[in-house]
Amino acid sequence: MTIVNFLIGVGIALFGFVLQTSIGGINRKIVGRMQKRHGPRWYQEFIDIFKLLSKRAVSHGWIFDFGVIMALGGIIGTAMFMPLTNQILAFSNNGVNYDNFFIFVYLLAVGMLGMAMSASGSGNPWASIGVMRALTTMLAYEVPFLIVVLTIINLTNQSSLTGIMEYQQMAGNNWFIIAMPLGGIVGFISLMGMLGKKPFETYIAPAEIASGPMVEYGGKQLGMLFILHEISVFIEVSLFVHLFLGGATNIFEFLIKYFAVYTFANLISNVNGRFKIDQVVTFFYKWPLLMAVTQAVIVIYFGWVI
Amino acid sequence: MGSIELLILFLVGTGLISYLLTKWNTFLGSVFTIFSVMFVFVSLAAYGFNLNLDETVNYLPGISFTQTYLGFYFAIIIVFVYLMVSFFHPYYLNEYKYKDSYNLLFLLSLAGILGAFFTDSFLNLFFFFELIIWTTMFLIPQGKSREAAVSYFGFSVAGSVAMLLGIFIIFQNNGNSFDIATGLAALSGTNAIFVFVLFLIAAFAKLGSFPLHIWLPIAHGNAPHPFSPVLSGALVKLGAFIAVLALIRIVPATGMFTAMDLPIGQYVVALLGSASIIFGTLMAIKEDDAKKLLAYSSMSHGGYIIVAFSVMNGLAFAGGFYHILAHALASAGAFMAIAAVARVTGTTKMKELGGMIHKMPITYLAYLIAIISMAGIPPMGGFISKWLIFQAVINKGMVFVGIAVFFGSVGSFLYVFRPLAALFLGQEFTEYKGVKEAPIMMLIPTFIIMGLNVYTGVFPAGILQYINNIIGELGYTGITVSTYAINGSNGILNPALISLVFAIGVAIAFVIFILLKKSRKVDLMDTYTAANFVHDEHLLHYSVDFYAPLERLYEKQSNWMTKFYTALAEKVKELGRLAKYLFMSKNMATTVFWIIAILLFVLGGEIL
Repeated sequence: MTIVNFLIGVGIALFGFVLQTSIGGINRKIVGRMQKRHGPRWYQEFIDIFKLLSKRAVSHGWIFDFGVIMALGGIIGTAMFMPLTNQILAFSNNGVNYDNFFIFVYLLAVGMLGMAMSASGSGNPWASIGVMRALTTMLAYEVPFLIVVLTIINLTNQSSLTGIMEYQQMAGNNWFIIAMPLGGIVGFISLMGMLGKKPFETYIAPAEIASGPMVEYGGKQLGMLFILHEISVFIEVSLFVHLFLGGATNIFEFLIKYFAVYTFANLISNVNGRFKIDQVVTFFYKWPLLMAVTQAVIVIYFGWVI
Repeated sequence: MGSIELLILFLVGTGLISYLLTKWNTFLGSVFTIFSVMFVFVSLAAYGFNLNLDETVNYLPGISFTQTYLGFYFAIIIVFVYLMVSFFHPYYLNEYKYKDSYNLLFLLSLAGILGAFFTDSFLNLFFFFELIIWTTMFLIPQGKSREAAVSYFGFSVAGSVAMLLGIFIIFQNNGNSFDIATGLAALSGTNAIFVFVLFLIAAFAKLGSFPLHIWLPIAHGNAPHPFSPVLSGALVKLGAFIAVLALIRIVPATGMFTAMDLPIGQYVVALLGSASIIFGTLMAIKEDDAKKLLAYSSMSHGGYIIVAFSVMNGLAFAGGFYHILAHALASAGAFMAIAAVARVTGTTKMKELGGMIHKMPITYLAYLIAIISMAGIPPMGGFISKWLIFQAVINKGMVFVGIAVFFGSVGSFLYVFRPLAALFLGQEFTEYKGVKEAPIMMLIPTFIIMGLNVYTGVFPAGILQYINNIIGELGYTGITVSTYAINGSNGILNPALISLVFAIGVAIAFVIFILLKKSRKVDLMDTYTAANFVHDEHLLHYSVDFYAPLERLYEKQSNWMTKFYTALAEKVKELGRLAKYLFMSKNMATTVFWIIAILLFVLGGEIL
């Protein structure tokens, strides 16, 4: 590892931020057109974030600030490991790629823990309720998702994201969304949960619990949480692209797949209502978990892969 | 001093001295205890790593010692936890009714631990186990409740009896010898199955695994504050030791699951371990007392250890052994933090506490680092072990065990966060305005454990290499470790790199934060309340029934096991009443009848 690797990593995190913020802006426009509005300009999200960063805010003590720093740091760190294509990857050494799948699930959790800590540290009960809902949602969507990933890793014998990508790109192998259709559907539903899109938007729920974890933030802290949100969306959508859509061999392929997945999730989100939090849990532990287990049994014990 | 026998005798001797010293002056006696444990720890660490301890026995009759990497690994972890906890004694003992015996029993149980892990005979193993159980049984009721000790003792004895039966079978099978190594190797056929089951009952009872877990929250929750870390970090690991003996050294010749390449016995145990993980996680989420919550988390982690040792390959064993270390450090850290809070506030109930972070920032940090490890998040030790266990489970294609393992892992975020939010964060309560951070002597072990939690997560290579010795000793191949990276079966992990990248991320975030305009400090009560005037900070503290919507989903099912054991106790009582009715009648005729019946039964063979 040289300094160049780390610079590439920071570059990827920055790229992820810019990419997701732009695509987020474009999506706001798309949704606007769907609802017969003009929608904001595509760079509106950048304006929002930089305006927030420039404002003077309030702080509720050191843990309130420290949590935000830890959260953003954890997310930037996670994004630094994310491969964009087969070649564009920060940490690889003589053909060994250090982009183990579990880094993305668990290093992401550091960021989430930081944010939860900061939110609870604000002393506002809405924030704590929001955190409670976010963690409960996480308990719901992670298990089916991880069972599907268990199937994928068992099949490919690889837990490196680049390895899984290359396995799908090999001649004779299909993308996993085709090879394991049930798993693909579960992956997408879980992605909706991760992104906090409706109907799994319960932990933000602006009209219900005053934006949940975000309730006390303003100014630079809120701006940093916006950056955090954009990068974590980048990580989650990229994970889906690499795990189920065969990854990408060049950057344009990646951009197209990324845009398609995010826009599709966003469109579904905009025609849905919101689940209650216990409905989120019962939903995920009913159909997605059943589908994930069925898929795992089919693939691992019967060896049927398209 | 590198002789095992002398170390044990030393502990017995210092135990007696510390009894007298504590009687005279609590502080002095406790400091003496610290130095005694420290001496044992240093002796073990100096000679034990390369198995250079002296095994000769001159004074103790009928006892013999041998050294294995396995025994030493357990012994050094447990002695370390004992050492760390002993720093807490000077500040707690004065509250206890029988404080003079506390240090004595503490040191005696440590002597039992040394004996149990270094002996080469099953009978000695049983003797030392009983020594540990009997000494600790008198430590637990010094806390809040006597019932806790009864429950602990009951389950421990059930485990001991099961183990004793297993030992008898081995004794008879192995040509009337109690030797551990040959005894386990000689087992075959149905004897192997019996011993396997009996030893696992003992292991489950000690480890507090499903379905023998009822004692765990009762004992952990009610034990004296400085003793809970020992129970959870050290003593339940005895169960893991027996589980290793049973699961790895005895493989009964049952059928195999070819799809997973696992013996059926091992798979069933893995499923029981999974039940333990799920049950522990769900109960921990529901729990309102911080110590009981951590006790249920110990149960869930015990499940991970069981699962790891039942997946028969070197990678899983490495994960299991590493998890024993990581969980010992994490749970000792977390329990010690809670103990420090309980010392100044007098409660461990989460609804009565809030905002302790402003008074006890270092304790808060210790708890934070411990729970990050407990939840298996990098850059702490718990991540490494969970990663290894995940790999093994995935490679074997164990889907149903996989559900439990992942559920426990995500569920642990939920329950470890609860004390963090309710106890340390949130509104600052007026009744605790006057409390202070723990004294410097209590912070020493806190800092050491914090450091080790991070160290085990950043540089696991050295420890894993040592674990490879144990795995080699058990007859399996270890895992490949380089200076920084660990090679799993389907990928490579570089914990040092992850930590460095995380640090870089935090540095970038810190620079962004510091460059922007400085924030205005406001009070905690100065929050958004939808324009209502809230005057009392208790009303703004969300801590009771934190996960209420989730809890509601399994509320009805959550007391099944308690009901089962209550019903079982009732049945045992009924049986006792029946026996009393039959045998202990006031009617002379009945008594005579039974005497004759028993005489006939006993002499039956002679007459016929």
